Amino acid sequence: MMSLPEIIFLLVMFLTMVGALITVLSGSIIYALIGLVTTMFGIAGLYLYLNAPFIAMMQILIYVGAISILIAFAIMLAGPHYKRPKEWTTPVKFAVSFIVSIISFIVLFRVVMNAQWMHTKAKAFCITTENIGRVLFDKLMLPFELISLLIVVSIIGSIMLALIAKGEK
Amino acid sequence: MATPIYNNLYIFLFLGLFLLTCGILGLLYRRTIIGMLISIELIMNGAGLNFVAFNRFTSPDNAFGLSFTLFIMGIAAAEAAIAMGIVILIFRRYRHIEGRDIKEMKD
Repeated sequence: MMSLPEIIFLLVMFLTMVGALITVLSGSIIYALIGLVTTMFGIAGLYLYLNAPFIAMMQILIYVGAISILIAFAIMLAGPHYKRPKEWTTPVKFAVSFIVSIISFIVLFRVVMNAQWMHTKAKAFCITTENIGRVLFDKLMLPFELISLLIVVSIIGSIMLALIAKGEK
Repeated sequence: MATPIYNNLYIFLFLGLFLLTCGILGLLYRRTIIGMLISIELIMNGAGLNFVAFNRFTSPDNAFGLSFTLFIMGIAAAEAAIAMGIVILIFRRYRHIEGRDIKEMKD
């Protein structure tokens, strides 16, 4: 007999896997985006099960709130002037891609499941936001600053790409 | 009482591996660039899930894995912004976004 948290965990896991399959296998790109949003919500639930509520909230804020909206804008900006192609390519290409992914799945599955990870029996406690902030600003200061620099450069770069495409100097 | 199933490292590793495989499949057979971008987001989600799972099960008393998951989110946001700019540029030049015909640099 499974307890209630286990049943909810299985539901969240099912949601994540079904969302990933919808993302990959759906014919329309909008349906793929909706599947991606479903997957991200499922992964936020898994983060809650991993004692990381702050990461779960950041997952919903950044991925569901920002990145999927950005992809939706890209779809809408690139979409309206031509007939949307079906996402299915030739069956041969799909079969080859499927074989490659299945082979990589089997190989990595054997590697991951046969490895001896060092499990600690330490009692898992909830890492608070204060812990994450102390690590970020104490030990990981340089990567933090580099990430902010990367985001600034990428925003300026995307604006410059759009301006160059319009022919403005 | 037995340990619950979510108290196990391997099931999270399996989920991350499943997301990686779905991302590889989509990246290989999608026709449009936006489809490939969505598949890359799947792969990055799997990587973040692996980081948090390893932090939870192998060293639960520090927060390095969680911090690197935040870094992955930042990299994914930057990549999505750049990819949106490139998609708009490609669409204005070619009037479509299929990856097959974009081959000027190859010739």
